Parts: sequence; C-alpha cells; structure tokens
Amino acid sequence: MPRQVTYKVGIENFEKYRKEVEGAVQEITVEVHELDAEPWPVDTPLRHVGHDIPRLDAPAKVTGAAKYTYDINTAGMTYCGFVTSPHAHAIIKKVDASKAESMKGVLGVKTFEGNRATYPGYIAAGVCAESPGILDDALQAIQVDYEVKPGPCTTEDAMKPGAETVDMRGESNVRGGRPMQRGKIDEAFGSADVKVAGEYRTAVQTHSCLEPHGSVVQVNPDGGATVWASTQATSGFARGAFLRGLGVQRNRVRVLTEHMGGGFGSKFGPGSWDAIAAEFAAKTKRPVKMLLSRRMEHLLGGNRPDSIQKLELAGTKDGSFLGIRGETWGTAGNGGRGAGATNTMVYNWPARAMRQNGVNTFSMWGRAFRAPRHPQGSFAMEAIIERYAHEIGMDPLAVRMKNDPHPIRQVQWRIGADRIDWKKNRRKVPGSDKGVVKRGLGCAAARWSQAGRHMSRGGPYTVDIAIDREGNVTVANCVQDIGTGIRTVMAILAAEELGTDPSLINVEVGDSRLKPGPGSGGSTTSPTIGPAVRTACVVAKDSLKALLALEWNVDESKIEWTDGDFVDPAGKRATFPQACSLIGDDGLRVSGQRQRNWTSPYRETAGCQFAQVSVDTETGVITVEKVVAVHDCGRVVDALTARNQVNGGVIQGISYALYEEKQLDRNLGDMVNPTFDTYRIMGMADCPEIDAVMTSVVSGFNNAGMMGLGEPATVPTAAAVANAVFNAIGVEVPELPMTPARVLTALEGKQG
Amino acid sequence: MKAFKFVRPRTCEEASKAVQAESNAILKSGGIDLLDRMKEHVDDPDTVVGLVDAEGLEAIRIEDDGAINIGAKVTLQQLADSEAVQRFLPTLAEAAGLAASPQIRNRATIAGNLAQHTRCGYYRRASFPCVQRGASECPVKQDGAVQDTAGVFDDECVSAHPSSIAPVLGSLEAQIKLRINEVSMFALFDNLWIRRDGKPASHAQLPEGAVIEAIHIPARSEKQYVGFAEIRQKAAFDWALVTCAVRYALDPDGKIGDASVWFGSIAPAPHQSVPAMRALLGQECTDKTIQAAAEASMKNAKPVPGAAYKVKLAKVALKRALEHARGRS
Repeated sequence: MPRQVTYKVGIENFEKYRKEVEGAVQEITVEVHELDAEPWPVDTPLRHVGHDIPRLDAPAKVTGAAKYTYDINTAGMTYCGFVTSPHAHAIIKKVDASKAESMKGVLGVKTFEGNRATYPGYIAAGVCAESPGILDDALQAIQVDYEVKPGPCTTEDAMKPGAETVDMRGESNVRGGRPMQRGKIDEAFGSADVKVAGEYRTAVQTHSCLEPHGSVVQVNPDGGATVWASTQATSGFARGAFLRGLGVQRNRVRVLTEHMGGGFGSKFGPGSWDAIAAEFAAKTKRPVKMLLSRRMEHLLGGNRPDSIQKLELAGTKDGSFLGIRGETWGTAGNGGRGAGATNTMVYNWPARAMRQNGVNTFSMWGRAFRAPRHPQGSFAMEAIIERYAHEIGMDPLAVRMKNDPHPIRQVQWRIGADRIDWKKNRRKVPGSDKGVVKRGLGCAAARWSQAGRHMSRGGPYTVDIAIDREGNVTVANCVQDIGTGIRTVMAILAAEELGTDPSLINVEVGDSRLKPGPGSGGSTTSPTIGPAVRTACVVAKDSLKALLALEWNVDESKIEWTDGDFVDPAGKRATFPQACSLIGDDGLRVSGQRQRNWTSPYRETAGCQFAQVSVDTETGVITVEKVVAVHDCGRVVDALTARNQVNGGVIQGISYALYEEKQLDRNLGDMVNPTFDTYRIMGMADCPEIDAVMTSVVSGFNNAGMMGLGEPATVPTAAAVANAVFNAIGVEVPELPMTPARVLTALEGKQG
Repeated sequence: MKAFKFVRPRTCEEASKAVQAESNAILKSGGIDLLDRMKEHVDDPDTVVGLVDAEGLEAIRIEDDGAINIGAKVTLQQLADSEAVQRFLPTLAEAAGLAASPQIRNRATIAGNLAQHTRCGYYRRASFPCVQRGASECPVKQDGAVQDTAGVFDDECVSAHPSSIAPVLGSLEAQIKLRINEVSMFALFDNLWIRRDGKPASHAQLPEGAVIEAIHIPARSEKQYVGFAEIRQKAAFDWALVTCAVRYALDPDGKIGDASVWFGSIAPAPHQSVPAMRALLGQECTDKTIQAAAEASMKNAKPVPGAAYKVKLAKVALKRALEHARGRS
C-alpha cells in the first residue's frame, strides 16, 4: 500500500541566506509507493550523497584504458568515408566512381546520383575500403558533376522575397510561428513609464564534439549485429534507415556505448552516414568503422541555430516589469525548426507577446544543443533588462530580484552577489573606468525544468541489481554515461542505500541489452535513473531481509535496516556483508522501477551567474576574469561532478559569448572555418576563475529529490558576460560572439 | 592523405639533393602545417623529405662577431626558453613563447614556421576558388565572403601571413641561410615571399632544391631597442589578428637613426612598413612620433570591408610595439 509521507523540502545549508527568503524550505506531503525508498528530507546527513566523490572511470579515462567508439578495432576492420557536395544547393548529376571501384582494397561504393543536395556536406558517395589510406585514395578518385543552383545560406538572404526555397513546394523559407500571447500586452505598453527596445543577434554554434559522430558496425555470423555507437541513446539507436541498412531484426542488434566523447544533444539517432556504414557492413560481412572527419563534424554534426531577436520591454520607474514583446528569426538550416529563442523566461512578466519564426536555409539542419533556444534567448532578454535598469537608474541585480518569483533563485542571487562582491566591483556608472582596459560586472539567471521521468514508451525505467555472497554489488541499466558521470551517481546512491562504499559498486551501463533507460537529453539522466537505483536497493534489502528471516526464524517484516545493519526486535544484528553471505551461489538478482514523480513546490531548477570581465578598448579583446555560478539541480548527489558540470557549462557559455561562429561564405554556402584552429573555441588558457556553487535543493519530485543540471549551467553565461561588457564599456555589444571587430564597432558607435 | 615515400636524409646537403632527385618532393620539418595540408589535399606530394635525422640543424650559436645563428630545426619552445635568445633577441623569445600551444611549440621549428602557408579558409579547401590556385579573382574580395581574417592591403591575394615569428625576424634583419647541394648561401629575408612571376606569395618560396639551414641574425654594435606586440582573441592556440615587431637605434643626439617596422597577419607575406620607418627616422621616440608612425603604417591600407577593423588593430599593435621597445632598458 502507498504511504503518506510528510517531510521538509527546499534548500539545504546556506542558513544565513535561506532564512531571509520565504519558501526556501517548505513542508510537503507525498504518496510513496510501497516498494519505493523513503524520501530524504532537507539537511539529512548522508555518508556519500552530496560529498565530493571522484568519478569512478576517471583513472580509465586519464590512462587511456577507457575505450571510445573511435578506439574499437576488431579483426577484419574496414573503413567507410564520404565524398560530399561543396555547394549550398546542387543536383548531383553524375558520380563517376569507376576508378575507385576498380582499386584494390575498395570493398564497396554507393552513389547518390540524381539527389538534390540542399546543404554543403551532403553525401554524394560513400566508400568502404580495407584501410584508411585506400579509402582516401578512392574518395579522391571519385568525380562528381553538380548542377549548381541558387542556395541562400544566411537567415537574411533566405528571408528575401523570391529566394530559392529549401522546401520545393514551399513559397517561402520563413516558417512563421504561432504568436504567443499572455496577459494584456497593449495595456502593459500603453501604461508603461519606461519602454526599451533592442535588436540582438547570435551566430550559429556547432556542437564540436571531441569524438565525432559515428559508429563501428558489425554484422555477426549468427545473424545478429553489434554496433559500437557514439550515441546519447543506446536504447533507441537501432532504427530507421540504419536498421534497414543493417538488414538485421531489431531484436538482434546490440548497441554499446561504454564511453562517449561529447554529444551535447547532437547524438541521438543514427545519421545518414551510419546508415551507409550499416549497408556496407551487411554487404561485406565485415566490421565497418565510420566516424566523421572534423570538417564533416562541423558541417553535419549539428548546430545551435542563430537568431535575430527584436525585443521591447515595458516597465515602471521603480523597476517592476509590465511586459515583454517581440519577434525572432532563426535558422537551423534545412529543417528550420527549433530555431526559436526562449526569451520570456525566468521573471514575472505580467504580459508577454512573442512571435518566433524559423527560417529554412541551404545548410545542414540544427540539432538539440545543450539547453536548446535558451542561451540565445537569455542573451537578448537579459540584455534588454540591463538596458532597462540603466534607463531607470537602478541596480540591475535589484531589478532582477524584484521580478524573480523563484524562492531558490532569491537565495542564489544573494550568494552570488556576495561571492563576486557585487556592491564593490560593479561600476555604478557603466564604462567609467579610466584607461584603456576597463572592467565591469554582469549577471543573468538560469532556469530548467526537468525532474526525470518514470517511463518511456519502452516501459518503466528499471535498474537491475545483482549481489553475490561476497557482498559484491552490480547495478545496471542501459543508460549511457556521456561524460557527465551517471556511473558515479549510480554507485553513490547504491552505496548510500546499502551502507557500502561507492568504489566497491560495479556499474554497468551503455548496453542496449540492459533494462530500459533514458536517452541522455534534456538533463533527464540523473533524475530519471538515480531514484530507480534507490528503489532497486530497497527491493534488494527486502530480499536480504527475507533470507535473514529464514536464518533468524523471525517474521521478515520485523527486520529493520538501521544505521547500515539489519536488526530484529530481539537485538540480532547483521552487517550488509553478513547478510550477503546467506545468498546462494547463483546470486541475488532483483530490480527496481522508477516511480512516478510527485509534485514539488520547486517546479523549475534555479541558477544565476555573475561574470567579471576586462575589455581592452583599443583592441576590442574581452577577457573574462571570474565567473560565480550558483546552481540548483535538486539534491546534489556528487558535489564534485556537479561542479564539474557547472564548470563545463560556464566554459561552453563563454566560448559561445566570445568565440564560436560557424562562418559560411554567403555566396557559396560552404563553411570557411571547419577546423579547430579557425573555428575558435575556448581553451584552458582562456578559462577564468570559476566559482561553481551548488545549492542542494531537495525538490520533492522523487525519493532522492534529484533534478537535472547539464543544461541550465550554460544558459546564462553569455548573457552575464555580455552584461559585464556593458558595465565595463558603457555600450552594448548586441551580437554574439563578441569579437574584437564587434566590440570596436560598438565603441565607435558610442563615440559617434 | 595520399600515400607517399618518406625519405630521411642525414644531412642538409642530402636533403637538398633528395628534394631535387625525388619526384614531386616536399620538405618536412616539424610537420605541423604540412600534415594539415596533406590531409586536406592542398598538397599531394609523392615524396616527403623529412629532416628528422638531418644533423647540425638544432643549435642556437653565438658567433664570434656576436651574430646569432639559429638552426632550422630549433623549436619554438627552445627559442622561448633559450637564455641567449632571451638576452640578445628578446622579441624573438617573446613571440615564440606566445605562439600556438605548448604541444605545438615543442614540435614546430623556426624554419617550418617561416615556411607555413596561409590559414585562409579559401586557400585551405580545394573546392573554393583561390588566386593561389589560378582563380582569376579572390573570393574574399566579393560581397558575401568571410573577410575578417583577410589582410588589409589590396593585393591580388588578400590572405594574411600567419607567422608571428616572421615579423620579428624581419625587424632584426635576419638572413636565411640556404643550402643547395654542396653550397650554402644567404638569402634576403624579403625575397622569400616573392613568387617567380614577381607577385606576392602567400607562403615562402625557396629556390629549386634549397633547404633552410639556419636563420642568421647579424650582430649590431649600437644599442638596439626592440618591441613586439601581438593582438589576438584567445590566450593560447589562436592565430594573431595582427602582430608587429619593431627595432630601432638612437643616434648620439637621441634621435632615431635606424629603424625597422614589420607586421604579421595583415598581408600575404610578412609586411615591412617603409612609411612607418620613415616616420620614425630622425625623430625622438615620443608619443607623437609613435602616433605618426602608426598613422603612416596604414596610409596605404585598402581593406576589404570585413577586415577594416584590422587597420585600427595594426596601428594599436605598432604603438604598443614601439612603447614596448622604448620602455625596455
């Protein structure tokens, strides 16, 4: 029978700040499933959960023992690569592969004559060969004739009347979104003391995964197939054209992702490239290795759409928001979807009206990218808030706090402001530093809303647990560790629940044969699987109680788990290893299912970041000197990997703010900087001091109180940096990345 | 990349002969740039003549007259760390220490740095038109092209020479010691970047069969004021937007009697600014003189629109390099 549990949720520790904020700790009542674990209330002292625990696979990663898809080499390996179109738009008239086909060591050629290639990088031919060298020779030997057609590749060109359309049936590349309206927008603007308008732009950012997209595909003699894939979803990878290419029944395909070298949302389903590799594997009956080149990775591996955002804010003289309205345009390339900007979030907007348009261009489509739509939306929204605060002569942090309804973020603003010393270091008059190098502070808010899920269409998410009579514990689920540390999180939760040490827990993940687990997107992985680990441990302990009940000849319901030991009312006591010694040689194998989420007063996770920058006003070069990032992910399970996530989000966010830009020649459409030396991306030497502060918040959504973290950590960084630049130089740089050229242009505008 | 024959001569002389004897041969020093070009098929040599075993190219030597001889295979990190270079050629140590990343500095050599090709994205991809490959017009000059990495002069090729070491060597009036067969000879630094048809090249042009043996920096009797400034976005592993290296000496009356001003990353070749030099000669090195030299240096600039900001950066770089030189005791 489910039981009612009343307990305290909210922010842990930080007593000094939380006592100032109403709702920072609250009492809730939830209905707990009979097999589920008891929720841990706020401030419960725990032995492992919430501490700094190094990731379990760190030694394997730093020594190279960890094998990524790229590292898989099996006997008889063959290699697959591609000839791609350099044109924005062309018909592939003829592919002459005769020379390549006759080369020794070439095992297969597939051509795509007649196809309409609607982005640079479109595959015109695929080749499978005995060695990478033969493969490259064969690719060079293939001649492709293209009929080049007009192909606007920038958002603005594609929007022009009469522009060539990506969708041949379409009349325009613009896919107007449905207008969104909440509240009385005209009234808000009509009655406002202050109105501020601005236009903001962001560039296309590529995912730039260190390990490119791809797979090693092997059709086995028994009629099954093994696929080592660099994917964020082992469970759903074998599908579509890839599965058809393999020609193997879905239930005979095993997908393995033991380690993954970066995905950021771009690596869910298989790509057209995987499908071609699968066909070669089926045809040659030999393993095929196919991983994209860096150039193809930049062109095809996904991107964050660009944006043009026109925004208007209405507010009162004393800093209350009345409304926000505007229109945005963005391109995700061929698809044109997902090109919005989430720019009405976080704050209390009494009235909102937005229209978001996707624009098709002749470029590869975008893919989900760490907090899709959020960094670009945050940049524009926070910039116009900054201008509004400046206009009414108010501290921009005070304006934000005044309009922020989230009790947790109210605590976080206070923590962050103290740690960056906002009062002292913010320039009261933006741009007022003397000299060439000017400093400033900025801040911005993060949000996310993800507390995990209990099931997919594949059934309830289930964690297996196996315990042997020596007390060795294995927890397993098909979820993949995409570098974010789910292995370690699973081990910590199991160790906490079973009274053992995380380093003694064996975790198996990244294998489609294991029980259903989520794809790693939307920051769902930890809050989905973490609570299921606890549930599985509860089931395992119940089984151990049953064994003890037989041994002790007592009713199993009388045995309690106290302080890491099993005890019965008569005082008999068994440690976890003692109890395990009762297990038979066949081992104990049980599972626990993720239970449905409860409702929590903290529907969204909160976060905020503060940046300190210096700007060289002669060269336009911006240096980020310090970032304070205060984040919530529900309960923190591993403080070390959580801060690690935040560091990564900040670094990727600064990189987005200052450096990253997919540059296309707008006449030809092809990418001019498809390498890591010309596509600027942040390096170690550019990293500022990052003060990552986790506020652990028992969310009340699940037995562990967990929520997601991966995405919110990168939402506000670019906005905070941009606002700091405004504070430093007294003029807004309204376009990302904030390159020296753009900074100098903004400064010229200020003088002129 | 295409399969190639790898030859490992033991001496510079053998290397020179191998480059001539082998079919479609190319020299490899650290290989930083060459391997990138080969992977992209910008270069498809049949033979790579690797200098890995060639002897006598690793030393930094101070000659009797005070000239400094830097072997072709001296790495950028060795340049940055060398006490002799730090003491006698400080701008060279500074530029080398700022270049690329630690891994690349440990591998890249001074000769290879001079011989590298432009990083222009159009040059680096065979499917783009490029005047260096015979196209009639540079696409970077067309509206719609990505122009921000271009040079600032209206050359036929508007690429930017990537080396930050080259302008320093130019300012120090370095000579390039070349070996052709049994013979060593000195080449003028400027001549390295002139194509056989007389047009500016986007990378060093060696005479047939020539191998860079050393970089020779002549000794000077009078006190030299040297300065270097590099403007780039990232703190490491980034191409400069502009670099500037200067050298001057003062006459007994305190006026500049001898000067040299070189820029990197603003033209297809390392760019010597004669107008800036003229603006310095006969003047005291005051703020006003520096400003005049900065203005003079960009008098002939005619950038494509996207690179216009680099004109401003070049002036700032020159100003900072001269201030750097003036402030050095």
